[in-house]
Amino acid sequence: MTRRLPEAWRQPLAIVGGVVALAWLVIALAAPWLAPHDPLAQDLPRLAAPGPGHWFGTDQLGRDILSRVLYGARVSIPLTLMLVALSVLVGGLLGACAGYFGRWVDETIMRVADLVFAFPTVILAMVVAAALGASLTNAVLAVLVVAWPAYARVTRGLVLGVREREFVLSGRLLGFSVWRSLRVDVLPNVTGPVLVLATLDIGTALLLLSGLSFLGLGAKPPSPEWGAMVAGGVEVFDSWWVATFPGLAILTVVLAFNFLGDTLRDALDPRTARAIKERAL
Amino acid sequence: MATRSQTAALLVVGALALAACSAGGVKSSAAPQSGAKTLVIDTSFDLKTADPGRTYEPTGLFVGKAVYETLLTFDGADVTKPVPALAESYTLSDDGKVLTLKLKQGATFADGSPVTADDVVFTLTRVRDMKGTPSFLLDGVEVAKTDASTITLTSKAPNPALPYILPNPALGVLNSKVAKEHGATTDAGDKAEQYLNSASAGSGPYTIESFNLTSQVVLKANPKYYGSKPAYDRVVIRNVEAATQKLNIQRGDSQVALNLSGDQVVGMPATLQVKKTASANVIFLLANQDSSVSKTTANAKFVEALRKGVDYSGLLELAGEGSTQAPGIIPSQLLGALPADQAAKRDVEGAKAALAASGVSNPTVKLEYPSELTVNGLSFQPLAERVQANLKEVGITVDLAPAPVTTALDNYRNGKEELGLWYWGPDFPDPSDYLAFLPGKLVGLRAGWKEGAAKDISAAGDKAATAIGDDARKAAYAEVQQKLNKGGPFIPLIQPSQNIVTASSVAGLEYHPVWTVDLADLSAK
Amino acid sequence: MTVSGDVSGADTPGPPPAAAQRGGRARVRRHPLARFLLRRVLIAILLAWGITLVTFVLTNLVPGDPAAANLGQRALGDPAIVAQWRQEHGLDKPLPQQYLIHLGGLLHGDLGTSQQSHRPVSQDLAETVPATLELAGAAIVVSLVLGVAFGVVAALRRDRLTDHALRVLSLIGISVPTFWLALVAFYVFFYRLQITPGSGRIDPGLTAPPPVTGLATVDSALAGQWDVFASAVGHLLTPALVLALYTIGLLTRFTRSAVLEVLGQDYVRAARAKGLPGRVILFRYVLRSALVPIITVAGLAFGSLLSGTVLVEAIFAWPGVGQYAYKSATTLDLPAVMGVGLVVGGVYLVINLIVDVLYGVIDPRVRLQ
Repeated sequence: MTRRLPEAWRQPLAIVGGVVALAWLVIALAAPWLAPHDPLAQDLPRLAAPGPGHWFGTDQLGRDILSRVLYGARVSIPLTLMLVALSVLVGGLLGACAGYFGRWVDETIMRVADLVFAFPTVILAMVVAAALGASLTNAVLAVLVVAWPAYARVTRGLVLGVREREFVLSGRLLGFSVWRSLRVDVLPNVTGPVLVLATLDIGTALLLLSGLSFLGLGAKPPSPEWGAMVAGGVEVFDSWWVATFPGLAILTVVLAFNFLGDTLRDALDPRTARAIKERAL
Repeated sequence: MATRSQTAALLVVGALALAACSAGGVKSSAAPQSGAKTLVIDTSFDLKTADPGRTYEPTGLFVGKAVYETLLTFDGADVTKPVPALAESYTLSDDGKVLTLKLKQGATFADGSPVTADDVVFTLTRVRDMKGTPSFLLDGVEVAKTDASTITLTSKAPNPALPYILPNPALGVLNSKVAKEHGATTDAGDKAEQYLNSASAGSGPYTIESFNLTSQVVLKANPKYYGSKPAYDRVVIRNVEAATQKLNIQRGDSQVALNLSGDQVVGMPATLQVKKTASANVIFLLANQDSSVSKTTANAKFVEALRKGVDYSGLLELAGEGSTQAPGIIPSQLLGALPADQAAKRDVEGAKAALAASGVSNPTVKLEYPSELTVNGLSFQPLAERVQANLKEVGITVDLAPAPVTTALDNYRNGKEELGLWYWGPDFPDPSDYLAFLPGKLVGLRAGWKEGAAKDISAAGDKAATAIGDDARKAAYAEVQQKLNKGGPFIPLIQPSQNIVTASSVAGLEYHPVWTVDLADLSAK
Repeated sequence: MTVSGDVSGADTPGPPPAAAQRGGRARVRRHPLARFLLRRVLIAILLAWGITLVTFVLTNLVPGDPAAANLGQRALGDPAIVAQWRQEHGLDKPLPQQYLIHLGGLLHGDLGTSQQSHRPVSQDLAETVPATLELAGAAIVVSLVLGVAFGVVAALRRDRLTDHALRVLSLIGISVPTFWLALVAFYVFFYRLQITPGSGRIDPGLTAPPPVTGLATVDSALAGQWDVFASAVGHLLTPALVLALYTIGLLTRFTRSAVLEVLGQDYVRAARAKGLPGRVILFRYVLRSALVPIITVAGLAFGSLLSGTVLVEAIFAWPGVGQYAYKSATTLDLPAVMGVGLVVGGVYLVINLIVDVLYGVIDPRVRLQ
């Protein structure tokens, strides 16, 4: 027998989002078998319009755009997931410390977070990416630098909320070490909301990463990264297919995760939902 | 509470009203406004200053050509023979050391005062001693006035290139009185740039109406110009990305687009004129000869494999119609350029053989190039990707390392690049400019090629530098390039086409390798 | 494009960060607002200093030499010219001293001179910032109008078809890559359909109005140049709409939940029970209470719009601070990067401050907790 999906998940949006996201994950895994061409081979006519043999057309070097878009999933999706995971880890840890220890630890961490917030995101990421040199890994690091404070704030707020609750206090009284207390009593109460936040963030993270690549500060050529492919299309404006398809790829992935995240948030119990709402801004 | 909410509500109402206003204005603005005598030129700005003595960028030279006049100039696109401008005649002494120029009478600056020999001496001395970007043009040249209308330029070594250097707009003659009033001096303490960025102290057909380094430059016809009045009263030069340039000109928003790539001019409507001319910019690969930078690229056989491995016709395809392969490092327009039949050809088997002979197996090399740089609308990015794919077929793995110009140029200048993809545009249209590619010279050092690394090539270079007379020079420079192609670290690739699209109303446009276009040549149909 | 803005904003009625964090240590009840303001101003100064430090360190970490971006290939080969250039721009001094010089200049209100434009950074910013403010301002106005309207409609039609349609639309709004949308809009409306004007702020044939505010629309209206005004508005429209799409999505989601929350309050139910007409309830009670948090979020969204312009400005050749920042960052033009950081950071801080004050004023519990 199949298990019933939770009520909130049986919404069309969540289903669409889930199916699309899953499809992209499958594409990322199976790109070598799905792609009709080598994404790097420059052996097709240049700038050919979409048609038989190259359904998404070819780019200025005679590469098949369909194959590149499919392979692009292997570049963008794992990196985005990794980026969000890292932001959760770094932001969550710092936020938990800030919330749990309070005082100067709190002040220091949250002022640094304020500092990051005070910077325009793209510009800060741009300067960091430029400083580290253009590469995808560095772009991830650059986005990480601007992304962690959001998690720090949320986690801090949630930790503050549970810190003074009886079960945490009694744990401390029982002689739990700080870390044990954090791990056993605090962490489980914080995980759910943070994970929802993370799902909601996947889309934004992908937008930011591909934005950096678009500016030439992310993926290194000839890697079929979507943002970089859109940038390549700017030069050959007339050949609309060069920029259109990678852009649609970004849009569908981001949209899928936003559909999922949005539903997930609605499905959360009101108390945690409210916590996210209140702390996230 | 109530009042605050009311304030907030007011804000929203205000916002609504504003939005309504902005939405209402759309239709009326769609029709492009074109004054009868205004010319709109779109170009990708490479502009740092309007002070001719500091100018060295394509857009700067283009603007400088319209606002200032030089002693000599070139007639149309022919750069093989300097012709009089502010000087009515010139003679070069037999030893090639002394250039004597006679000033033309009747030339005046924009404020009506006459152009004098003192202005010329001041200008040239200022350029030389201010230590700005173009200072090297007059390195070691003594400037003197012998009488009210005669100037002599004296060099220590024979300097047959000097008449070819003088047309450079960086040597545009300043109204010395006006310039001095605004802080111009003939040393590093010069303070006139700010003034010259807002006004013009020249004798050219145009003056500066407004000057913005990042958005646009507006020129207006010089009302006191002593020569024939230019066809356009007002010229707006806008900083526009190449892709947008194309749309703008097709829509009639602009009349000239200067930086379209070969791909972008394909399929232009018949109402527009497309001029494709091979530019004088030579794009080349360099393989570092310093074995502390790379043991692989310092290997002569490896360089041979590179030279034979690159698919030149494939690169030309990327660059588009009008582009030509560069047979040597000297571009085709200049004296001493190699004939097209001496150009390198792709030979995959030969390349593999050379690679095998080099003793390097499965080499991986890093190719650095400036990521955001475009030459004649052609981006370095696809070129690098194509070279990478070409060399993969030969068995050479190329890692692409694009970097912003600041970073890439710094590495290049310091000779730290293993493989580099760069271009060289002529500082002045004379082959002696290209002696920089020899061992121990400016560009040679950037390829880690030290003095004495290739004595026979250096010797050929010395011979070319001192050769006098067109035929002797031609032969000497051809020999230098043949030797370079055989044993040098440079692989000349292509001269991309400069594609200029103009509206049918614009006539007389000619691409010029130094200043792109001379606005005074244009006429309106 | 702010990570935080999105995560949070999508559906978030609630106090903004600073308000939430502000501890409850302020026990002094006399002049609590003044104390609160003082504290915020001190933090703002600290943050401004942090911005200078971060930009200085970052720009110096970047491998490369600003001289390379400013001198020709020939001149770069001449050590004397390079040395002189570095000296002119104060780059020959040790780093800590360079930083102190910059800081000293800042204290005197001097942002330094841009290596790229050879002009005072303040002058560059005076030209580019209004251009961006005009673009972002137009975008936020459009977003507020449409976002609030959509949000209210969605809330009133909760769970009906309209609500679901608006939900999908707003989610699409926050999912579209701005840089791609800008390209598509430019291609479709300018190139294919030819209904929008080209790049830049006004048509090239027109003379820019005398700068008063720096906003092309306002200046041309003030000068009575209505043709220029029309042109400026036309040029503004497409990039502003492209930029606004994201914030429209954000505000729709946000307004919807804010309105729903208010609709559930006792006093609204009471008003309903009293039999007040729906329109009265909506405007007198619901919108009134929901507006302040909406404007707060709009304020924060405005901040994120400012950075979103980097991508849009490039496509529309909009001479704003985004393009200026991009060029300065890639050419390692330290004074310019620092100036941009300070100005844009300053705008963020001011917005945060306003948001905090709004909250403190409206909800005394936050202030005196």
